Amino acid sequence: MIETQTLHKDYLRPLLRKLGKQYRLVGPVRNRFGDTLYIEITDLDRVDIDLKHQPQNSLKSFFFPQTEPLASYIVDTEPLSPTQLYSFHPLLPENRPTLYFGVRSCDLFAVLYMDMIFLGGKHRDIYYEQRRRGAVFITLGCNEPFANCFCNATRNGPFLEFGFDLQLTDLGPARNSYFVEAGKANGVKIVRKWARFFTVSTKEDRRFQYQAALEARGLFKQLVHVDLACQELEKGCEPEDVLTDFSQRCQDCGGCAFICPTCTCFSITDQARDQGSGERIRSWDGCTFAGFTRMAGGHNPIDMRRHRIRKRFFHKLKHDVQKHGRPSCVGCGRCVDMCFGGVDIIRFINAITEAGDLGRGKKRGV
Amino acid sequence: MAGLATTFGSGAMTNTINELEEAQVILVSGSNTTVTHPQVARRIFDAVDRGAKLIVIDPRKTKIARHAHIHLQIRPGTDIPLLNAIMRCILDENLIDDLFIEMRTENYLAMCDLLLRVDLNQAAEITGVAADDIAQAARMYARAQRSTICYCLGVTQHTCGTANVKSYANLAMLTGHVEQEFTGVDPLRGQYNVQGACDMGALPGGFPGYQAVADPENRKKFEEAWGCTLPENPGLTVIEMTHGGPDEKRLQAMFIMGENPMLSDPVLDRVRTSLQGLDFLVVSDIFLTETAELADVVLPAACFAEKTGTVTNSERRVQLSHKAVDPPGEARADGWIIQEISTRMGYPMQYESPREIMEEICLLTPIYGGIYHDRLHASWGLQWPCLDRNHPGTPFLHKYNFTRGFGRFEPEQHVPPVEPADNEFPFVLITGRRYHQYHTGTMTRRSVTLTRERDTSLLDMHPEDAKELGLADGCRIRVRSRRGSVPFTLHLSTQMDRGELFSDFHFHESPTNILTLADSDPEAKCPEYKCCAVAVEVDHD
Amino acid sequence: MEYDTYPSCSLDARRQAQAGRDNIYLPDQAIIRNIIRENSLVNTYELTLVDELANHRFSFQPGQFMMISMPHLGEAPISFSSSPDGEDGFSLTIRNSGRLTAAVQQLRAGDIIGVRGPYGRPFPADRLEGKNLLFVAGGIGLAPLRPLIEYWLSRPDEAGNLTMFYGSRTPEEFCFNRDFSRWEQNGLNLRLTVDQTAEEWDGSVGLVTSLLDGYTIDDETMALVCGPGIMIRFVFKQLQAMGMKAENIITTLERHMKCGVGICGHCHMEEKLVCIDGPVFTAAELPDPDNP
Repeated sequence: MIETQTLHKDYLRPLLRKLGKQYRLVGPVRNRFGDTLYIEITDLDRVDIDLKHQPQNSLKSFFFPQTEPLASYIVDTEPLSPTQLYSFHPLLPENRPTLYFGVRSCDLFAVLYMDMIFLGGKHRDIYYEQRRRGAVFITLGCNEPFANCFCNATRNGPFLEFGFDLQLTDLGPARNSYFVEAGKANGVKIVRKWARFFTVSTKEDRRFQYQAALEARGLFKQLVHVDLACQELEKGCEPEDVLTDFSQRCQDCGGCAFICPTCTCFSITDQARDQGSGERIRSWDGCTFAGFTRMAGGHNPIDMRRHRIRKRFFHKLKHDVQKHGRPSCVGCGRCVDMCFGGVDIIRFINAITEAGDLGRGKKRGV
Repeated sequence: MAGLATTFGSGAMTNTINELEEAQVILVSGSNTTVTHPQVARRIFDAVDRGAKLIVIDPRKTKIARHAHIHLQIRPGTDIPLLNAIMRCILDENLIDDLFIEMRTENYLAMCDLLLRVDLNQAAEITGVAADDIAQAARMYARAQRSTICYCLGVTQHTCGTANVKSYANLAMLTGHVEQEFTGVDPLRGQYNVQGACDMGALPGGFPGYQAVADPENRKKFEEAWGCTLPENPGLTVIEMTHGGPDEKRLQAMFIMGENPMLSDPVLDRVRTSLQGLDFLVVSDIFLTETAELADVVLPAACFAEKTGTVTNSERRVQLSHKAVDPPGEARADGWIIQEISTRMGYPMQYESPREIMEEICLLTPIYGGIYHDRLHASWGLQWPCLDRNHPGTPFLHKYNFTRGFGRFEPEQHVPPVEPADNEFPFVLITGRRYHQYHTGTMTRRSVTLTRERDTSLLDMHPEDAKELGLADGCRIRVRSRRGSVPFTLHLSTQMDRGELFSDFHFHESPTNILTLADSDPEAKCPEYKCCAVAVEVDHD
Repeated sequence: MEYDTYPSCSLDARRQAQAGRDNIYLPDQAIIRNIIRENSLVNTYELTLVDELANHRFSFQPGQFMMISMPHLGEAPISFSSSPDGEDGFSLTIRNSGRLTAAVQQLRAGDIIGVRGPYGRPFPADRLEGKNLLFVAGGIGLAPLRPLIEYWLSRPDEAGNLTMFYGSRTPEEFCFNRDFSRWEQNGLNLRLTVDQTAEEWDGSVGLVTSLLDGYTIDDETMALVCGPGIMIRFVFKQLQAMGMKAENIITTLERHMKCGVGICGHCHMEEKLVCIDGPVFTAAELPDPDNP
């Protein structure tokens, strides 16, 4: 392992400039309309790197784009040999080693979840793998959680213990530097290679970092009992009332699934270019759409909106706990911002835990 | 439009959408808000969460109606008797706002006169709503301090559309529920930027900013600015154009931009005849629509994301939208197309950017007087009237003063639907939108996901009616009116009462507007889309 | 979840070649050797992979399925309906129920379709060995059971008694009726029933559940059920009422699928994915049918 370091804030850009020669850079940038988004940075001097606000998107689309062609196909009516009749040609994305910096804990954790879905099974998804291979992450712990964050409750923030290559912690305006922890090999390599930007951290730096991490935990504005909700669901809780309410409010826009960093469901469609050719396209999909499960002939095993909403929340908080040992909500709070109708996961969790309170009260005869 | 213009003096939402969240009572009428205006529905839900009461007037049990504290499920086209009954209840219980009526309105006596002749039992009979419910809704609306009315095309798309709107305005004035923050009369516009199009003079009788063509002063102003002579008389409305119009005004050529009358206008056969009867038809649209197929020349247009310009929404908010991607192929922005055609026809138009056009709008349109592009950057936009560069915009209208001076009560009587159900055509057909498709589908039917969600035109029918006719859910049926017949897939739904049907008009395979009536409102010329008599039979084709 | 193993290098030729082979979303080509009309809506297609080497290597187990591709129409999961011992290719039995399957009906022998697979968890051969097998099928639900019937009929020493109750709407709609006499000769106890009686029909009339009444169930019996959802539900109920354990009742499910390999998420059923955890399930593994 390597000793912890500090990086003076003035050195961040110079360091990124060096790293930008080796990697494609992706980081949070504030655009001229006041939105902060993770984007690919081609010219460091022409962007406003924003490490103060929560990026509105997650890293999902960098590994799993909203739409991507998987293959082109040809349908030949007068072929020379039968194999030309109907053939597919893969359209693999280029593998570009990418450095993701200023990544929030929730967003990196979501990437680790996606790894499990796309690469963890018997069949690997090579499109995802092409984009994922060679990715390096410099994360930034959140000293001040944002309005709807609850990553403390989902246990993947505001600071990470693993998964990152480098993790930065802002040591505050007085010190004007970042505390740097190296996690995985690439992080260590960066610190070794560009040692001149870093200084070995002092005991006081470490104390400051510890203090910041401790304080951040107390600054969450949302009190959400994710573990308790997972336990209630595990015990078989079926929150009928809140699902009925949600089914009235859900506008079926799919925004929650699209904004969610861990919603990985997709659809594949073949789109004709002309009679004789076309593309096989993959695009994001959402389990709140009725067409998501409707089969040919019109039968739909999950045809009621309340069941679709149930499926979405249960998947995050119950089924993934059963399958992978932890909920797949990373507490980023984006769906809370996104939803028109207030069908958000915080409300769902609170409804369960409050109902749980009542239930336990009843049992005790209160 | 015309209704609010006569009573208040200005035909637009009196408040902002955000103000809905603070209302105590929200009366929604003729609006399937969750489907057609999700962003408004969201504010209504939020308001209800905070304790606001929701009243919905709609013949259908829509989602918002199921969410309502009181749902007045009227028969189609009976808004006026219902509102008169509500006002009568308010009068009887002395819940009127005397001071407001005295200080701010005129013609109250005539209104009073009419209301005192209202028979509540008769009203209950005509509307199909229990008298108790009417009284309860009246009390709820009148007693709250901040009550707001939202209405949509269910109110306006009737031959008595203007009268309907006037009645809602009457109700608001009777209880003093206008001219303040959080309370007013809010028409929800039917389409993206339709408010902006009206504001910019895309109406037969007005220059931009509702400056009447008939007024010589206005003409002079625009003639000087544009260096040309302008016609003295108002032009034709859409229906007059697409239905051929009176003979002496027969059109020889048309230029249709971003509109698909071959699906959206009533009595499609007549639309086809009149478009085919033109000497020359130009259509510009983002895709080859049913209308474009009839055109002599089709111009590929850029879509909203491929051009820069402003959009004005229901709440009069002008927002700047930036070009995100280049238009594909030879497609061009509508503004570019207009300039080029004008230039090549001998009137050179050379605006270097949308910004320059906006500057001209500021100069010639008082209500847009201060809405410059630079003020719209990185903001949520400005709400007109915004008279000059320093004007902050106007979140709610009619403060201290109605635009026309006094608010005018316009007493209205029930106008029965033009075509009631009878023995031959026993059902009343209401048309509207489905969630996953938009209008004639030009923009939505090319989306794989949206098409997956909804790819056929459904006719909603009450299960009891279907049972009587021996029709099963999902079967193919044919709907016939006096004007033609259209195939649909049957969908059983208890959203409507028996005897009422609902269908969408998104699909060219089921061109619903073959069935609808051409009869339109005498003032606004808006056709009666929401109510026509039809018969249903099994489709044997 | 550790990704240190990935070197940050660009893709070399070897990897590219391997990537092509690993690409789970690209179908192989299969040629239609023969089409057998089962009834007005259902055809069985006998297929062979065009690539000889791939065809030689190809094998599947009863209960598995293939994703089939049709030009411009995308993919659909279809169960195998032929014996897994077949020498040359495999059969898929397809019902005309949507745009893709309607296009399949237009195909002729010699045409090419795209196929990828086999996918899914098969019927548990080890649990079925030596047991009395009760097959209960409705309509096209016989198709996924047919490989199993062929498999056990050709291994009489390893199988117990084989019984099949098969229901259809009308006598004309039975699938695979050309097989019936051969199956019976080989030892299958076959009972047929129809919903609607017809003139030339002298068999039983009624739901397939009515045939169950005379059947005795012991611990050595396993039931294999497939048909319309509602039929499966009633047969499950009745078998359990007759004393059969839920884990001895096996069915195979149909779901909307895009990838077929456990990634796309369309076929989630509670914590399971039908494409990789199924499509074969025991009644004990399924959620309460009354509360999906």
